[in-house]
Amino acid sequence: MTETTTTEPWLDSNQKPYIQIVNATKKFGNFTAIDNLSLDIYKNEFFSLLGPSGCGKTTLLRMLAGFERFTEGRVLVDGEDISEIPPHLRPINMMFQSYALFPHLTVEKNIAFGLQQDKLPDNIINQRVEEMLELVELTDFAKRKPRQLSGGQSQRVALARSLAKQPKLLLLDEPLGALDKRLREQTQFELMDIQEKLEVTFVIVTHDQEEAMTVSSRIGVMDSGKLIQVATPTQIYEAPINREVADFIGDVNIFKGIYKGQDEKGTQLLSEDSKSIIYATQKVDVPVGNRIWFALRPEKLEISKKLPEVDCNILKGKIEDIGYGGSFSTYHVKLENGRQLTAIRANRERTAEHHLTWGDEVYLHWVPHSAVVLLS
Amino acid sequence: MNIKEIQVPSFLRRAFNGRNAIISIPYLWLLFLFLFPFIIVLKISLAQPVIAMPPYTDLLKWGESWWPTIQASLDSYLFLFSDSLYIHAYLSSLKIAIISTILTLIIGYSIAYSVARAPTRWRGILLMLVILPFWTSFLIRVYAWIGILKTEGLLNLALTTIGIIDKPLIIMNTDLAVYIGIVYSYLPFMILPLYANLEKMDMSLLEAAADLGCRPLKTFWTVTIPLSLPGILAGCFLVFIPVMGEFVIPDLLGGSQTLMIGKVLWGEFFYNRDWPVASAVAIILLAILVVPIMFYQKSQEKAIS
Ligand SMILES: Nc1ncnc2c1ncn2[C@@H]1O[C@H](COP(=O)(O)OP(=O)(O)OP(=O)(O)O)[C@@H](O)[C@H]1O
Ligand SMILES: [Mg+2]
Repeated sequence: MTETTTTEPWLDSNQKPYIQIVNATKKFGNFTAIDNLSLDIYKNEFFSLLGPSGCGKTTLLRMLAGFERFTEGRVLVDGEDISEIPPHLRPINMMFQSYALFPHLTVEKNIAFGLQQDKLPDNIINQRVEEMLELVELTDFAKRKPRQLSGGQSQRVALARSLAKQPKLLLLDEPLGALDKRLREQTQFELMDIQEKLEVTFVIVTHDQEEAMTVSSRIGVMDSGKLIQVATPTQIYEAPINREVADFIGDVNIFKGIYKGQDEKGTQLLSEDSKSIIYATQKVDVPVGNRIWFALRPEKLEISKKLPEVDCNILKGKIEDIGYGGSFSTYHVKLENGRQLTAIRANRERTAEHHLTWGDEVYLHWVPHSAVVLLS
Repeated sequence: MNIKEIQVPSFLRRAFNGRNAIISIPYLWLLFLFLFPFIIVLKISLAQPVIAMPPYTDLLKWGESWWPTIQASLDSYLFLFSDSLYIHAYLSSLKIAIISTILTLIIGYSIAYSVARAPTRWRGILLMLVILPFWTSFLIRVYAWIGILKTEGLLNLALTTIGIIDKPLIIMNTDLAVYIGIVYSYLPFMILPLYANLEKMDMSLLEAAADLGCRPLKTFWTVTIPLSLPGILAGCFLVFIPVMGEFVIPDLLGGSQTLMIGKVLWGEFFYNRDWPVASAVAIILLAILVVPIMFYQKSQEKAIS
């Protein structure tokens, strides 16, 4: 990051946002795809949009790129209102979810297309195209036509084409979905590299929450055309604001119950999943007797055959199912009331003496600090 | 119980399976409706004209011997090249075909483009309007143009009434009338393949071009036109090839100076009753058309591979 920007510009009220989406609404007939959405994105951010299919992510990107007119609201880039500027004059490039490669042009001509519009000299275009081809590992495919490429290769060409112009704002609509894991991770790091080198601001749509976690400075979780939460990956994961966000990002165990007040161990919850009161450290400000929820990530749930030597947050259950994941294992544990919880434990010992198998009676336990209290 | 199986030779079995039977239908069609007539025309073109029924000599002469002697002559062809009328007619047809194909392309492309970009619910109706003239006989439609274009016709009447011109325009019986007639009659053949192509074009490609900084007009030339090339080629050949041999339109709308090979062909058959020369004219016309057809084939193959 440069010296003029802090690492978390959104916390600094002196920082001016690079992109300001102000009360954006997009309607297709009677259907509201984007619903009065406001969002500030700062320079050099790597902003991820996450949300279920059909929630309006692509629509939002298309509004930024200029392909969809705002029904209401506007968008400012660097303080300038660009809502009325046609797409070919916007300093924004977009990678399309459908790739939109020109079928009559070779891979290299596709990548060169944007550069040619800027009337750059040929040698610079060629050099830039070569760099891009190397970046996406397609040098050998330069002379191919798009229909001679696999899905992943097409996706890389689309990515290279949108990167070639080195725009100040790059919109990526599921840029890595069709890549294999190795290439995806590699490209993720390349993207972060490019972003630091070229000072590009990225807005990226993804279905892959792990990817969002890895690359983003901030994540915006969307649903039905609205932003539910905008926060750093850690905040989204550790402190989701409601069940929807918690559920959408990673696995989560949710305990539903009645708020019973506070004591020295924290917030008390009476849940039908536990005979005794369960605790979370986080304080809440609602009347006693309200319905609240505890959210607990599977890796925060400890699993053992011995009764843990603690005085609260112990549940008894039986292992239903084990998923072996190499470095960790996932356990599905059925509580006495039939509820199923998920716990994850790292596989530290190769031949664990605390070996757990199907049907074992186990205790689940968490420290009050790990649970998040949700009000909705 | 012990019926001996009839052994069908394997090559016969292969030749008569269902797949081959289906594939053979278009080949049979071509054989009977194209190759046989072509051979007959070729045969006549190699004969000599006589006053008889039919008005040409037999190609094979059965003499005393067992074998017939072949009596082929290239006289008709040599005659075509000796008289500059024929070469002029070919060149003039070529010129008229090329110019009217280009005119049809320009007009047809704009119509196809606007229909393809019209709201979905309008497209069917608009396309219907393009095809509608086919419901009336071709001949009647060409006759209608006479009524419009002639000196005291509708067009001149309208223009003089409004006061744009004071002397009627002479359009009837000129090349201009022929172009108007050809462009009008062949427009649907241009529009339909172009529409089919433009309609299925991926609009996100135009967005991608705009996104990469391409102005709309340049996008049209660098993306839309190259992508619609198959439609352009198909439309152009569908217009060019029949216009080359067009007879009715130059005969009805054109003047005495309008020279087209179709008219010459007609004259040879029906006025001169010189069937061999008429056949030779047809064969040469076919030879001229084979060049663009092969060109078209090549481009289609390239598009597929
Ligand atoms: N041109 C359009 N006309 C009508 N409705 C549209 C149009 N484009 C999008 N929609 C609707 O708007 C909603 C949001 O679509 P959008 O493409 O933005 O979803 P998305 O979040 O990108 O989904 P995905 O993750 O599946 O790509 C969808 O319900 C979609 O049906
Ligand atoms: Mg989408």
